[in-house]
Amino acid sequence: MVVENPLPPFLIWFAGALAIWLGVVAAVSLVGFFLGWLAVALERGPREAVARNWQMICQAFQDFVRYISGSRISGLAYLAIKESIRRRVIAVFVVFLVLLMFAGWHIDPASREPAVLYLNFVLSATTYLMLLLALFIASFSLPTDIRNRTIHTVVTKPVRASEILLGRLSGFALVATVILIGMAIVSFFFVTLGLNHRHTLTAENLQSVTEGGGETGTLTGLTSSVFGHRHRVYVDVGGQGRVEVARGHYHSLRVVGSGPDARYEIGPPEGFLLARVPIYGKLEFRDRDGLDADKGLNVGDEWTYRGYIQGASPAALIWTFEGMSPRRFPEGLPLELTLGVFRTHKGNIEKPVLGSLAVRNPRTGLYVETEIFESREFAEVPEIKRLFVPRKIVNPPSVQIIQRKKNTPEGIVLSPPPEEVRPELTQKREFDLYEDLVDNGRLEVWIRCIEPGQYFGAAQPDLYIRARDGSFVINLLKACYGIWLVTIIVLAYGITASTFLSAPVAMVATIGVLVGGLFRDFVIKLALGQTYGGGPFESLYRLVTQENVMSELEPGLGTLLLKMADVIARGFLFAVASILPPLGQFGWANWVAHGFDIPWEHVLIRTLQTFAFAIPVIVAGYFFFKSREIAE
Amino acid sequence: MQTGVNTPHAVPEVVVETRNLTKIYRDFWGRQKVRALKALDLTIYKGEIFGLLGPNGSGKTTTMKLLLGLLFPTEGQAIVLGKDATDVSKNERIGYLPEETYLYRFLTGEETLDFFGRLFNMPAAVRRQRTAELLELVGLTGARRRQVREYSKGMARRLGLAQALINDPDLILLDEPTTGLDPIGTRAMKDLILRLKDQGKTIIMCSHLLADVQDVCDRIGILYQGELKELGRVDALLKVRDVTEIRFSGGDGALVDDVKQVIERRNGKIHFIGNPTTTLEELFLQIIRESEAHPGRRVRGGISGDGR
Amino acid sequence: MTFRAAFFRKIALLVVIAILLLPLFWLGQPSTSPARGARGSPGGILAQLRDRFGLSEAELGEIDPTSEAMRLTTLGLRGVAANILWTKADIYKMKKDWTNLSATLEQLVKLEPHFISVWRFQAWNLSYNVSAEFDDYRKRYEWVIRGIEFLKRGVRYNEREPKLLWDVGWFIAQKIGRADEWKQFRRLFKQDDDFHGPRPIEERDNWLVGKEWFARGEELVEQGATLRGISPLLFFSDRPMCQMNYSEFLAKDGIFGERAKQSWQRALEEWLQYGDREFPTYEGGTVRLNDKERFDQRAEEIWAELDKLAPGLRKKIQDEKRSRLRPEERLALDTPPEARTPDQQALAFEAQRKVHVTHREVAQRITGRHRQQALKLAEEAEKALEMSSKIDQQRTIVNFEYWRMRAQFEQTPQAIEAREYIYLGDEAFRAADLTRAKQYYDLGLKKWRELLDLPEFPQLKRDGNTGRELIDVIRNYQRILDARDEPWPKPFILQDIIDLHKDSVPDFKPPS
Repeated sequence: MVVENPLPPFLIWFAGALAIWLGVVAAVSLVGFFLGWLAVALERGPREAVARNWQMICQAFQDFVRYISGSRISGLAYLAIKESIRRRVIAVFVVFLVLLMFAGWHIDPASREPAVLYLNFVLSATTYLMLLLALFIASFSLPTDIRNRTIHTVVTKPVRASEILLGRLSGFALVATVILIGMAIVSFFFVTLGLNHRHTLTAENLQSVTEGGGETGTLTGLTSSVFGHRHRVYVDVGGQGRVEVARGHYHSLRVVGSGPDARYEIGPPEGFLLARVPIYGKLEFRDRDGLDADKGLNVGDEWTYRGYIQGASPAALIWTFEGMSPRRFPEGLPLELTLGVFRTHKGNIEKPVLGSLAVRNPRTGLYVETEIFESREFAEVPEIKRLFVPRKIVNPPSVQIIQRKKNTPEGIVLSPPPEEVRPELTQKREFDLYEDLVDNGRLEVWIRCIEPGQYFGAAQPDLYIRARDGSFVINLLKACYGIWLVTIIVLAYGITASTFLSAPVAMVATIGVLVGGLFRDFVIKLALGQTYGGGPFESLYRLVTQENVMSELEPGLGTLLLKMADVIARGFLFAVASILPPLGQFGWANWVAHGFDIPWEHVLIRTLQTFAFAIPVIVAGYFFFKSREIAE
Repeated sequence: MQTGVNTPHAVPEVVVETRNLTKIYRDFWGRQKVRALKALDLTIYKGEIFGLLGPNGSGKTTTMKLLLGLLFPTEGQAIVLGKDATDVSKNERIGYLPEETYLYRFLTGEETLDFFGRLFNMPAAVRRQRTAELLELVGLTGARRRQVREYSKGMARRLGLAQALINDPDLILLDEPTTGLDPIGTRAMKDLILRLKDQGKTIIMCSHLLADVQDVCDRIGILYQGELKELGRVDALLKVRDVTEIRFSGGDGALVDDVKQVIERRNGKIHFIGNPTTTLEELFLQIIRESEAHPGRRVRGGISGDGR
Repeated sequence: MTFRAAFFRKIALLVVIAILLLPLFWLGQPSTSPARGARGSPGGILAQLRDRFGLSEAELGEIDPTSEAMRLTTLGLRGVAANILWTKADIYKMKKDWTNLSATLEQLVKLEPHFISVWRFQAWNLSYNVSAEFDDYRKRYEWVIRGIEFLKRGVRYNEREPKLLWDVGWFIAQKIGRADEWKQFRRLFKQDDDFHGPRPIEERDNWLVGKEWFARGEELVEQGATLRGISPLLFFSDRPMCQMNYSEFLAKDGIFGERAKQSWQRALEEWLQYGDREFPTYEGGTVRLNDKERFDQRAEEIWAELDKLAPGLRKKIQDEKRSRLRPEERLALDTPPEARTPDQQALAFEAQRKVHVTHREVAQRITGRHRQQALKLAEEAEKALEMSSKIDQQRTIVNFEYWRMRAQFEQTPQAIEAREYIYLGDEAFRAADLTRAKQYYDLGLKKWRELLDLPEFPQLKRDGNTGRELIDVIRNYQRILDARDEPWPKPFILQDIIDLHKDSVPDFKPPS
């Protein structure tokens, strides 16, 4: 699976994120305090304004901490739930069902990776519907209450504004949870039923395998074609059947009877819905001179995700894994590899390019090649090659000491340094993975291309240890939890917007946050001036004058003014971007669709992010709500 | 029904006090649009029923909303139960019946009361008991499982009253309590108000139905165009010493003529003969006539008063 | 507003709506088939336009509800939506996410099923660009087929678009038959039960299947469908060319004898049929490719007739012109073409032009009673020559004459045998049986000699294509001899071919 922006480890993320969060919250609070002060000062004078603002902040603190009452919040949540039911939010569920009905026509089960399409579809449909739902209920609820004046009866009770907002949020969150669970259940059955298919196989489809002129007794053949694919089947002399993997799945095969009367029963598809738990290493490149390099070669792809190395040269892809121990992997390392192959000449068209797999001890430099493998880019679905580094490596194809070479300002540094090289290490014919090759839990896995003129390419997530398989259902639930988090953020923004805007305006504002959040990376790029064609004003100028984005503008006063205006606009954009939630990153559909377990660390990070956005937003909503008159 | 008069002077505990309470509505640009309430000074004591009178748009509802903190005063201050009107915690001891019944139509009567009970942090058992009592009190026990949307206007009104009493409040604000009620309902409402007063509660009500005010209020304030025009005890305000009213029944036209003759013979002056009108109405209309003749004159309230 | 005013306004609005609906009704009235009623009507303007541009779905049952629903739900923002999908498809392609690329294309064509360029561009993308990304030739083949299937779906949506049919033919014929992996592709194509269905194995040749699709396209054009974006000359050439290629590939597959002969016969027939088609020329008017010889012959006949009217006149004029040449020009003209120096070649070319005598020149010199007749004949001859040159231009575009000759000579027993021997020689060489390889090659070269010496094909020796092909054969022969350490035979049996064509293959070193 492609992971373009991997998350840093939790602690590193947390430290950085916390600092940014505190900074943004502080900045926004200051701006808010100033604006609040300004509004009061215009009416009552600067001194009283300070006093009132201070009083309000104290009040807020008490309203959120001291007086807050679970009973009141649950009462208001109950009201929100009742309101949702009255607003027929269940209709969303019906829409979801209708969507799925139509999707059945539209998702091609004959696709290369039907599971990916099915899962992507159900999860994105769920996401969009949940967002729509959140958008509507959040931005219409409070304004409707205010317009109908039902709010008058409520706020004349000892209810805190904080409770009104939190009550709504929790009520709607509960509704969203229930609907989400419903959707998850329906999705699960939709996917399993949609992917389900049966092949048939009759005795006529089978021929006996000949080897070296004689019949081996094994039968082989192709099943019937369903959803645009067939499976190759082998039945051995003993009547044991095996179905080969095609399009990412396989079937069970049962042979009833024998000889010409044998019947073959093929079971439902298996292996579609996985949750691999990968352990990633850190990828480094070694160039053809044997020097460490940050990046691999670019073979002319527009997409620079994978770096390439040259075949039949010292170049290698090196993944360093940490924390390897016999306790974790007593048998050896089950690796999975996705490899890009680039040929500079056709070579033998019918033969795949060969590569080697080796492990190396990072301290002693002992390098043991364990396997020569064939690589077929994109051949299998999923495009993953399974490799295995056994615990006991006997008679490996190649053993040597390899020194890593690093180019530093002081010259080339060798690791291990020449005086520490111990050639006697290579004398053995049998190696133990942990004794000989793991140093302090660290291990290097090397992938090289052994054919001249051909190239291998990889990115960090392309090789991992498949530690175990998690539960697909839990993985699906995790993805739904991701959707739930986004829903919460949208609810928070919607409720806050509705404290001071009318319903439709609040909705538009929330849509703005939503769209901005989904394209936050772009907004930030825009704010940092990393896009072509300048900022908003310069772009506008270029649009009107039909100037292309690359040409320099003629220097002069006009251009100067444009650029200055853009600096201000960019500052504004940056401010906006910093309070936009990174909604685009919450989608875990890809993980589920490609059969990878969503790491709990990610779940934790996203949860914290949700709180980091929802809480300040609700607090802001509190101030908006407090400072407005409820009656008109 | 005769107004049961307590002795307001005995325990002059102030429940509501407004000082120079002013509300100006502004438009989007901050320009003054309407002066809804002008420098109101008012003091209301514990245990009394205070009526706010005035035609539509005279500022009585604005006053109520200011007292409840639904609006913020432009100038001046309102102190309710010793706290600023914008302080939420004062609501613990307040019951409010809005002008129209603003209740959630998708809740049943029982759910409504339970919901509002929760807002007072009442334990579940207390809520259940209180809900049952109040439903009984307003006569909605039979309809407690029905959604408010199915209620008639009168039923909704009664439920509104019930929710205002859910916390057994010390101060009750009733905005037009008898609108939408049939005569029997109106009577029952008035009875209830008096009963509450007997329990020692302070009641502020506003209405434009003069008969209601006259029947139950101890004191009234008359608002016109945001200004307090009249303030005082109802009986004192209405007592007209140089006029005697004769009421009788069972007579015909001849009898009326006889009475007329008797009065004329004794040099009495007949103002009016016919079915009697509500006298508060008279007063009210007179104040309005005067106000229009001499705009700007107003009463400074605050002192307890029986008079003009 | 009073009740009456409101009421009348509503009535007025209803009337206006009804009036506005009338033209819509007139425009959108559906056509009725003549079978049902007494007389069928062509329907409203929209129905007629739909019919004319072939916009209607093939059959009512084939209207795709998903497609319709998608078009409806975009609420008129179909163009925008299609743009977004197109960009998405580009990104997926960039990121090599083939699954999502296919899915996005699926949505795209559902949204814009009648946008021909989408089908054509994206099918090309799948068959040519995406397939090339795969390292395994079987997967490449799979994606070539995906592109073809995609186009075939486009055909279902756009039944009256010959260009799409032509594209299907082109992909099947040319992508499978001319890719680097043509051997593997053709083999896989033969084995592809899912693509062919019940088609018998011997007919599963990419050239034959492609030909069927070209034929369908031709049929559509003959029924009156408009051909856009391709000249008819090229459009109609591909079906017969498929037969040519098929015949050529028979030899590569090692099939000779009667089957090869029949196939080439058929190719010739179809090529000549193609030559009988009328094609528009750039200057206007139409021509038939077969007609050139007829026009040339007519021009020659007219010379004879003019000669009858004024015997010797043509020769006389030519001599006059010759006498006006400069001496070096005359010398150049008299030198045989092979012996001319480069300077002389230019001079000879110029001299040739100067001594050229036209029919008109002769006719105008005729006086007396035959003058009128002569002028008329001259005019006819000029017209005939003009047509001939027009046809010549068209012929060059499709290499008409080469293929005509090829189809003819390939039918000769000499050609068939020559090819069979060379094939066997190659097979033996591949099996490292050098002795047999040389034997077969010797036989093959002998047959080629016989073929080249046949009087029916005087042009064959000079033909560039054949020359290049033979140079390749000679090169292989060189390799065989090198491997056997044998000297190059003198005289070599095809020495004239080496002399003529040695420069046409860049890295060929003529044996010494």
